[in-house]
Amino acid sequence: MSRLPLIFLVAVIPFLSTLCTSFSPEKPSDRRILVLLDDLALQSSHSLFFDSLSSRGYALDFKLADDPKIGLKRYGQYLYDGLILFAPSADRFGGNIDSAAIVDFIDVGHDLIIAADNSASERIREIATECGVDFDDDQAAMVVDHTSYAVSDTEGDHTLIASDDFIQSEVLLGSNKIEAPVLFQGIGHSLNPANSLVLKVLSASSAAYSANPKTKLSSPPSLTGSAISLVSVVQARNNARVLISGSLSMFSNRFFRSEVQKAGSSIKHAKSGNEQFLTELSKWVFHERGHLKAVNVRHNKVGEANEPSMYRINDDLEYAVEIYEWSGKSWEPYVANDVQVQFYMMSPYVLKTLSTDQKGLYFTAFKVPDVYGVFQFKVEYQQLGYTSLSLSKQIPVRPFRHNEYERFLTAAFPYYGASFSMMAGFFVFTFAYLYNK
Amino acid sequence: MTFPSQRTLDMCLQVKQLGGKNNRKYVELSIWHFLSMNNSQMAGKLGFLVLFLCLTSICEASVIHPISDSHRSAALELFTPVDGSFASLEEAYEALRTFEILGIGKELNVRASTCSSVVDNLGPSSSLKDLFYALRANALLKCEIENVFAEIALRVKTSINDANSLLDFYYSIGSLGLIKDQTSEVDVSLADADGIFRSIKALSQSDGRWRYDSNNPVSSTYAAGIALETLAGVISLATSEIDQSLIGTLNNDIVKLFDGIEKYDDGAYYFEEKIVDALEQRGPLSATSSVVRGLTAFAAVTSGSLNLPGNKVIGLAKFFLGIGVPGNAKDLYDQIDALACLENNRVSIPLILSLPATVLSLTKKDHLKVRVSTVLGSTAPPLSVKLMQAFSSDSKDASIIESQELKFDPEADVHFLDVLPKIVDVGKYVFVFETVLNDPEHKKVYATGGRTKVPMYITGVVEIDNAEIAVLDSDLGSIESQKKLDLVGDNTISLSANHLQKLRLSFRLTTPLKHPFNPHQAFLKLTHETKVEHIFVLGNSGKQFEIILDFLGLVEKFFYLSGRYDIQLTVGDAVMENSFLRELGHIELDLPEPPEKATRPPPQPVDAYLRYGPKAEITHIFRAPEKRPPRELSLAFLGLVLLPLLGFLVGLLRLGTNLKNFPTSTVPATFAILFHLGIAAVLSLYALFWLKLDLFTTLKALGFLGIFLMFVGHRTLSHLASTSAKLKSS
Repeated sequence: MSRLPLIFLVAVIPFLSTLCTSFSPEKPSDRRILVLLDDLALQSSHSLFFDSLSSRGYALDFKLADDPKIGLKRYGQYLYDGLILFAPSADRFGGNIDSAAIVDFIDVGHDLIIAADNSASERIREIATECGVDFDDDQAAMVVDHTSYAVSDTEGDHTLIASDDFIQSEVLLGSNKIEAPVLFQGIGHSLNPANSLVLKVLSASSAAYSANPKTKLSSPPSLTGSAISLVSVVQARNNARVLISGSLSMFSNRFFRSEVQKAGSSIKHAKSGNEQFLTELSKWVFHERGHLKAVNVRHNKVGEANEPSMYRINDDLEYAVEIYEWSGKSWEPYVANDVQVQFYMMSPYVLKTLSTDQKGLYFTAFKVPDVYGVFQFKVEYQQLGYTSLSLSKQIPVRPFRHNEYERFLTAAFPYYGASFSMMAGFFVFTFAYLYNK
Repeated sequence: MTFPSQRTLDMCLQVKQLGGKNNRKYVELSIWHFLSMNNSQMAGKLGFLVLFLCLTSICEASVIHPISDSHRSAALELFTPVDGSFASLEEAYEALRTFEILGIGKELNVRASTCSSVVDNLGPSSSLKDLFYALRANALLKCEIENVFAEIALRVKTSINDANSLLDFYYSIGSLGLIKDQTSEVDVSLADADGIFRSIKALSQSDGRWRYDSNNPVSSTYAAGIALETLAGVISLATSEIDQSLIGTLNNDIVKLFDGIEKYDDGAYYFEEKIVDALEQRGPLSATSSVVRGLTAFAAVTSGSLNLPGNKVIGLAKFFLGIGVPGNAKDLYDQIDALACLENNRVSIPLILSLPATVLSLTKKDHLKVRVSTVLGSTAPPLSVKLMQAFSSDSKDASIIESQELKFDPEADVHFLDVLPKIVDVGKYVFVFETVLNDPEHKKVYATGGRTKVPMYITGVVEIDNAEIAVLDSDLGSIESQKKLDLVGDNTISLSANHLQKLRLSFRLTTPLKHPFNPHQAFLKLTHETKVEHIFVLGNSGKQFEIILDFLGLVEKFFYLSGRYDIQLTVGDAVMENSFLRELGHIELDLPEPPEKATRPPPQPVDAYLRYGPKAEITHIFRAPEKRPPRELSLAFLGLVLLPLLGFLVGLLRLGTNLKNFPTSTVPATFAILFHLGIAAVLSLYALFWLKLDLFTTLKALGFLGIFLMFVGHRTLSHLASTSAKLKSS
C-alpha cells in the first residue's frame, strides 16, 4: 500500500520540475502563458497576435476570465510564466485569481499584458494602477484626436487613432523602424510622474484628448495632449515586465490587417503598424530582448592573473565583466559603449566607462585611490528597456606597509651625509684619541 | 450595484460605441456580467428590462458588409495545405467547401493528395465519420473512384439499424445522401424512414434542442442543427412519404428553438450554446451555423412548410457578417458555409444593405452610395432604395430629408444620391434607408429587413475668422493691447500681463452653410516654462467663441508661477475637416509672490531618455606628493655637510696625529684591532640599517656587537689605561 504514493511521487517529480517560475537566466525558455479572455471568440478575432506568440514557442492556455477552474498557482508553485489579460470588462476573475494575486504574480517576476477598452472594469483599472498607470476615470471617455486620426470611410468619430509617436528604443520596438502608424481605439492613461519604472511606448499626439465623443464637453478633460499614453510598459525592479494598452482592438486581426492612412498625410500604408509594433513589444515583454546577464566578473592587479584578496592604495588594477543578452534562443554578446564601473565606498571614488571588444567583454584599468577602506566594484547598468544589471563585489584597500615607503630620499641626503660623516669622523677620532702620542 | 439604471445607461453607451464589427461580442458579455452582478433577482429583471429598452430604442444599427476579398485572402491564408495535403479529410472538406463558395483556391494543387486520402478512407475499415467526410470531399472533388458505393451503402444501412447516438445517425444518413448525389446506380433509399425519423426525434428536448445520445442528458443547440440536417436527409431518402404529423412536430420544435434565439443591439440574431463542456467548447458561431445548415436542409426537403420571419433570417445573416473575418479555419468555414446556406435557402434569402462610406465630405462632394447585395456579395434582384429620413443625431425629431429615392447605377451596382440636398450641413446624422423590391414575387423569396438606420458623418471645412487676442484691464475693461490673429497660418504674438489684467481670446466658426459651428474640442492651453499646463474649454456665446481669463482668479490655479506661458489653441471636431492645433505665441505673466501655504505645482514627469544613459566619469584626485628640494640642491648640501669631516681629517694631518700609542704586544694589539673592527661593524650596521635592515634586526645585531665591543673595548681601554699609568708612574 505504501508503494503507491511513492510511485506517484516519482512520477510527479519530473513534472513538477517543469513548472518553471519566473524568467531565469539558467532556464530562459519553456514559457507557459495563461490567456484570460472575456469571450472565447477573441481567440479567433485576435488569432494573428496569438499565432505570433505560439509560433515563437509559447504555450498559450486560453481560459475565460470567469472560469472557476483557473488559477495562477497550485501548491505554492506558479503554473504560468506569463499572463495575458484580454478581459477588459471582467469584474472578477474565476478561481483564486484576483487583483492581489495578479500583483503577486508580477512581484515574483512574471510578465503581464493587459489590454483594456472603454468597458474597462474596476478590477482592470486597479491592476493598472498597481503598475503605475492610471486609466481615465471617466468610464465613457475614449481617446479622440481630430488631427491624427486614421482616415476611414466608416469610422467618423475620430476615435480610431493612427499614432506614430513611438518611444525611441530599439530594444523595445526592434531594430526595424515601424513605418506605418499604429491603429488605436480605446481609452487613454496617464503615467504616475513619481514612478520611474513605467515608460510611455506609444503616446497620443498633442491635439488628442480623452473624452466621451458623444457628449458636449463642459469642463477640461483630465487627460490631454501628449501626456496621454496609449501603450505603456513597466519594468519592475525584479525585471518583471508589464505591457498596458488602453485598446484591446489594437491586438485584433482586423487592425493588424487594416490599411491605414493618417489624416493629413497622403501616404496610404497597405498594412497598419500594429502587427510589427505589438509583436516586437511582446518579444520584449516576454524577455526575448533586453534581458541581460553578467558573468565572469573579475579584477586583478596589472600584470597578474589572480584575483587578490586586497589591494594597496595606488595599485594599478584591471576590471572585466562579460555581458550577454538573451535573444529568445541563446545568449548573445551584448554590445554597448556605456557600461560603467564604479569603485565605491560610501560614494564613487572612481567611475569609469568600460571599453568593449564587441564580443560581450567589457574591461578597464585604473589606479586604486589613495584612500584605504572597504571598497566595492559596482556596475549599476540601467538602460531604457534593458533589465538593470546590479553587480557589486567587495574588496578592501590597505595603506602602504612600513617598508613600502620610499627609502632613499635625495632630499634627505644632507642628513644622511651628516650622520655618516659624523660616524666616519668618530671612527677616525677613536684612533686619533686612543693612539696618538 | 445599487443603481442599476445608471449602470445600464453606461452599458448602453458602451453598446453603442461597440456596435462595430468584431467587438460586438462584448455587448453580450457586458450584459452577462451585468446580470451576474445582480444578486437580487428583482434587480436583475429590472436591469434587464431597462437594458432591453435601451438596446431597442436608442442604440443604432451599424453598417455591415457582405463577404469581400478580405475573406478570400484570409481563406487562402487559413486553409494552407502542408506539403500539398490537408491534415484531415474534415479539414480538407472544409477548405474545399470554403474555396468553392468563395470561388478561389483553384491554383492550390490539393486534388491529387486529397483524392488519394478519399480513396483510402472509402475502404471497409474506416470509421463512419471518415467515410462521411471522404464522401463529402469526393462530392466536391469528383475523384475517380471505382465502384465501391454499393458496398458502402450496404454497410452504412446496417449501421443505421444499430445506431443509437445522433452523430452515428448524422454520419450514416449523410453518407447515404452523398452516395445518392454521386451515383444513381446504388439504391440508398430507406425502407423504414418513419422508424428512423422517430428514433432521431426521440433525442429531441422540449426546448427545441437535441441530445447527442440517449444516455447523455445534456442537450445542445449544435446538436439540434445536426439533427435537423439528418432528418432532412431521412426525408429525402425515404421511399414513401413521411408522416406529416412528424414533420409538423418538427416544425414546432424549430419554432421552440427560435424562441431561445438571442439578439444583439443591431438586430443580429444568434443561437447561444449554453452547455459549458470543457471537452467540446462550441461558441455561438458554430451553434448558429449548425442550426442554419440544418434549417436550410430541412426547408429544402419540405417545401413551404417552414415559416420563418424575414427579420430573423436577416438577423442571422447580420450575425455571421458582423463577425468580420474570423481568425481560424473552423470559424471561417462555419461562417462562409452558413452564409452560403442562407444565400441558397428556400425560405427567404437575406439582402444586405451596406454603405461603402458613412463619412461623406462636402468639400470633396462625395456621393451617398448604397449597395444592396446578397450575403455573399452577388447582385440583388431589381429593387429600389429609398432614403426615408435623415435627422441630426443631436435632435432626433427634426428631419432634414424626407423620402427620397436613390438612383441606381447598374454598372457599379450601387444606388446613389448624386447631390446631397442643399440643406445638409456638416454634422452627425442618422440616415434611414428602406429597400423595396420591384417585383412583388420576389418579396416572398427575399428578406430585406425593412428599414435600416445608418449613422452618417457629413464633414466639411469650417471657416474661422474674427480671431482676436487681447489683454484687458480688469476694472474698466479697457483694452490694453489687442492683436489680430490669423488662425489659418502661424502666429507669434507676444503679450504681457499682470495678475490684475485679463486675457481675451475670441474667434468665430461658421459652417459651409454659414451656420455657427460648435466643435467638440475647443481648448486653450497655457504652458508654463516648467511644463505645468493649464487647459481651458472655450465656450460659445452666440456666434462668437470667446474665453476671458481673469488672472486674478487664476493666480492660485497657476501656482503663483510668473514667467512665460506658451499659448496653444486646439479646435477640432469629427465633422470638421480643418481641425487644427496652433501655437499662438506667448504671454509674459507677472503674478504676485506665493504666500507660504501656497500649493506647489504637481511634479512633472521626467523625460525617460534623460533618466537613463551614462553618468559623467569620475577620476580620483590623488594626494599631491610633498614638495621636495631639487636634487642638485640636496647634493650640494650633502657636499657642504661632508666638508667638516674633510676639515677634521685635514686638521688631524696638520696636527701630525700619529698612532704611536698603538699596543705593540700581540694580545693587546689583537684586542685593539678587534675593538676597532667592532666599532666599524657597529657603524656599518648603522649603514646597513639605512640601506636595508629593519630596527629589530639591527637591535639584535647591535646587542651581540655591543657585548663583544664591551668586552674587547674593556680589554683595550684597560690595557691603554695601564700603559699610561705605567708611563705616569715611571
